[in-house]
Order: sequence, then structure tokens, then C-alpha cells
Amino acid sequence: MTKKTRYFMAGSAAVLAAGLGTGLVAYYTGGFQPVSASPVATELRYVPADSALVAYADVRAIMDSELRARLKDALPMPEKGRQEFQTQTGIDIEQDIDYVVAAVAPESLHTAPLVVARGRFDNGRLEALALEHGGSVEEYKSKRLILAPAAHQEDAGAIDGIESATDAAVTHAKRSMVLAFLEPGLVAVGDTDAVKKAIDAQLSAHSITSNNEMMELVAAIGDGNNAWAVGRFDVLAAQAKVPAQLAKQLPAVKWFAAAGHVNGGISGTLRAEARDDVAAENLRDVVRGFLALARMQSASDPRAAALVESLQLAGSGKTVALSFTVPAEIIQMIPKAAGVQQQ
Amino acid sequence: MNEPTSASRPLRPAPSFLRSCLRVFDLSIGEMLWSRRTIFMLLVVGAPVLIALFLRALVALGAPIFEQTRNGATQFRMTGPAIFGMFVWVFYLRFTVPVLGVFYGTSLMADEIEDKTVTYLFTRPVRRGAVLAGKYLAYLGCTVFVVLPSVVLVYLLVVPMQGTLGASFIDLLKDLALLALGLAVYGALFAFIGAKFKRPLLIGLVFIFGWEQAALLFPGYLKKFTVAYYLQALVPHAMPNDSTMSLIQGIFRESPPLVVSLFWLAVIWVVFLALAAWIVERREYVLEQ
Repeated sequence: MTKKTRYFMAGSAAVLAAGLGTGLVAYYTGGFQPVSASPVATELRYVPADSALVAYADVRAIMDSELRARLKDALPMPEKGRQEFQTQTGIDIEQDIDYVVAAVAPESLHTAPLVVARGRFDNGRLEALALEHGGSVEEYKSKRLILAPAAHQEDAGAIDGIESATDAAVTHAKRSMVLAFLEPGLVAVGDTDAVKKAIDAQLSAHSITSNNEMMELVAAIGDGNNAWAVGRFDVLAAQAKVPAQLAKQLPAVKWFAAAGHVNGGISGTLRAEARDDVAAENLRDVVRGFLALARMQSASDPRAAALVESLQLAGSGKTVALSFTVPAEIIQMIPKAAGVQQQ
Repeated sequence: MNEPTSASRPLRPAPSFLRSCLRVFDLSIGEMLWSRRTIFMLLVVGAPVLIALFLRALVALGAPIFEQTRNGATQFRMTGPAIFGMFVWVFYLRFTVPVLGVFYGTSLMADEIEDKTVTYLFTRPVRRGAVLAGKYLAYLGCTVFVVLPSVVLVYLLVVPMQGTLGASFIDLLKDLALLALGLAVYGALFAFIGAKFKRPLLIGLVFIFGWEQAALLFPGYLKKFTVAYYLQALVPHAMPNDSTMSLIQGIFRESPPLVVSLFWLAVIWVVFLALAAWIVERREYVLEQ
């Protein structure tokens, strides 16, 4: 074999190895997001692949928005609770949390959701606080978990008296709340099972990032919005124990997505992916009916009329989309209204 | 007086089949890789990479080529993994693999005969079958080391557009395995055609663009006498409906189970490679003056 041939083979093998290596790392870490992926790729890696609902909120952007400032002025909230929370935990909710991702597993609709928060946290202080209040610390796959005190005691009590406990009590006792330190600046709060499943999802790379269907929706609505939620409507409806009569009336929607941008005003989109074109058309008809009713009702109130006029029904095929805008001008009316009420 | 003469020096034993194979492989791979045929191969495997690069550049520049806005709602026509699947079907499976199989497989012995160099190989103390096996290994090395990196490059360029590399990694592994298998099976089949028939290239082209395409179009058992029928059953991606032929093939498409496909591909591979070696061992090649 000549030197030239050897170099060619080595080059080919290197390209092959580099590509396979990249794919392998991406497979095991769930990383390397799409070109237009949302900026929460790291957090999404902790969301299990089978989650029925995923939601995101850019807490910093919302806290810094004009809307929030106006609402704060109009409806002043007591500062005491927030300050007490900050004194105990060291977390200033307005400054220290950047964004949160929440997820709901299909089988745990009636328990606490998994919340993954990115921000600046004093891990030592949080751990000390939990221990001070009777909490306990355990390690799960090299991640530090703090079990909430009340649930922890309840858990122990229920396990001790498991024979006399009802099924519901046992279930509740097993589902204790946990705070987990996932990475520097990244914590997860939620039900023990949910948090452990989140850690497993990240380690085994079976996170929501491997669910192409959901990631497509996230990529579609994530851009330019500082809060969004994507979920399986059929799964949530099935788990919600809706009465059979009502369940029959529910539209045949598979996916739903809601996204909003909060700044001076609020703009948002509600999007539903129906099971088929006929179901989507039926849903569009229902929404059209509601819009007509709303227009009729709001005719006498110019502010409500402006809001209703901003509602735009869109979509084709299986997609139904409803967008709305609450202009800054309407938001600006809030302080005046509050002032009028006070007078 | 006691010095041994050349006449009494013992002959070195002929190398084993495997050693002969590897020696021919070593000799042939360079010849094969730097032949004029390689330019054609580079064009064939380079085209998908260039197209993928072009698509990626368009997306990077913000061209909404994979999405459409209808009544205010953004819809995705295709995602990166789906486009990658289409590339695998259209460029590699239906074209590159059979075409490279035909061009290289049929030429394994035909080139030596055409260049009248087959005598030099056959007068060496190696089995004729080992010559064919070594040349077949060189063909496999040559094509696999050119086709598979091209697939990997397309994967890296295309899949991240509205998709994730991690989620499509298993599909990539399946694609690489089935393309390598396709090259091996088509190579064995066309090595036999090259060893047996006089105009192997023509027969090969008729087989892949005539017989295989036609047999897959009709319902019935005819498709079982094609390689594509078993190979297409292994593809992890949805079959694209990019042409009328594809649509009709899609209608009559039956996918044999994985084990059945692998079994028949293995049978085709072993039988035709063995037949090719057997023919080369026994055939008397008459070089045209």
C-alpha cells in the first residue's frame, strides 16, 4: 500500500470516527441541539422523554418587563414574605432565578411537577436550612438530594405503619418533595420519583430532547417568546379523570402549545395539533363561534373590543392557531383603574 | 564442493489463501483508489455532501426553506432527520450503492483481462480464487472508506436542522451498517457477473436500473429476486414519495422481517462470491490480441 493510499484511508477513518464520536457523545448526553433550538437545551436534558407537558418561563425577562413593573405599581404585593424567603434561603426571586422549566409526567398529574431552575443558589445554605428543619440529605447517582422535612417524616411514619395505612396515604408518603443540586447553578424541585427520573433521563440520554415531535413544537414556538408550554392534550385529558360525558365533547387534539411574550404588553399564541384535518376543522369552527360571541359581547366596551379584535384564528391542515395581543395601551390603563377603585 | 546449487534449493511453500488474499488486497487497493473510476465515485458521494452543505448554508442565512407560514401559523415541511432519511434513500441506497457495486464489482477481473495483466496474477503461486477475494476486499475497503464518511458528513450537516444528532444516532448506525452490507452484497453479485459474462457492465446496469426497478413495481414474488427488496427492508427511515416510481413501489412495498432480509442477503453474498471465485478458478481466460 502506498503512502498516498495510507493517508487517504487514515483521513477517511478519521472522518468516520469523528462523526461517530460526535453522534455517540450527542446520544449519551442528549446534547447538540438544533440550529434554532431554544436556549434551555441543558435544562431540557433533565426532562424525561415521556413527559406529557413541558413548560418554560424566562423569569428574569418577565421580572424585568414593563408589564411586571406596571403590575407591581398597580397591585403592590407585601414584601415581607419575599424578604423572609430571601433571608432564609438566600434566594431573591426577582434577581437570582434566570429561568425555570417545568415538566409533568403522564402518570403523575396529581403530584407536584418537576421544576428545574437555572440561577444563582447558595447550595450550602439551602442544605443547612433543610437539615435545620429536619430534612435529610442523600446522594442519587452522584447528585445531592435534600428530602423535605415534613414529607420525610410522613414518609417514615407511613412506612412504619404501612399495614394500617390506606393506599392513598402510602402513595402520598412515598411521594416526598425533594430539592436536587443537578449542576452548578441548576436545581430541580419536585416529587422524589420525578427528580430521580430526571437525573436518570439526563444520564441515560432519554430526555425530551430525543422526542423529535415535541422538540419540533418547542423549536417552533420557543423563538421570541419568554414563556411557553407544550403538551400532549390527549394524555393529559385521559389522566385528568374528566367525566365521560365531557370527555366525549373534548376536541380530538393530540398536541397543544401555548407561547407568550411579555414586555410592555402581552402577545401570545395558542396552537393545537389535531388528530386529523376533520378534527382540526371542527375545532376551528368552535373557535370561530366563540370569537363571534366575544365580538358581540365586547361591542359596547372599546377596551374589550380592542382585545377581542387582536384575536386571530389561523392554521391549516391539522394545525389550529389562535394568536392574541394585549397592547401596552391597555396595560397602561391598569394603574388608573386601580386608582379609581381606591377613590 | 558442498555448496548447495540453485537446483537443489527447496521451493518456498505457496502462501496460504488468506495471505494471498491480503497480498492481492494490498496491491489492488491503491490501483483501485487512484483509478479514473474514483473521480466518478467522488462525484457520486460528493454530491449529497455539497447539497447538504448548501442547505445548511441557506438555513444559516435564515432562508425559511423547511418551514412555511400559513395563516400566521408556522409549519415545518421537513425536519433534519427526515431530510437525512431522504438522502439515505435517494442518494445512497437507490443510486450510490448499486452503481458503485456495478462499476467496481464488474471490473474486478474485467480490468485485468482488458489490460491483459491477468496472466501476471495467475502465474503467481497463489490460488486464483484468492486473487478474486483479495480484489473483492480491496473493492470493499475502497468503497466503504469513501461512502461511509460521506454519509457521516451529511448526517452532521443535515440532522441538526430541526432535529438532534443524539436522537438520530441509532438510525445513523443502522444506515452505515446497511450501506456497508449493500456494498458487500452488490459487490459479490457483480463480481460474479464480471467473472462469468462478457459485457458485465451492461448486464449490471440493466440489472439495477431495469430488473430491480421493474420487479419492485409489481405485486407478487418477482421482487424476491432482487437485492433491493431485502436491503430496503432494513432502512430505518420512511420511504420517500419523490417520484411516480417511488409512489407505485410504496403501494406494493412489502417489508420482509429483519431476520429474513439478513438471511437472504447473507445467502446472496456467500453464494455469488463463492460462485465468482469458483468461476475464476476454472475459467480459461483467452486474451484478445
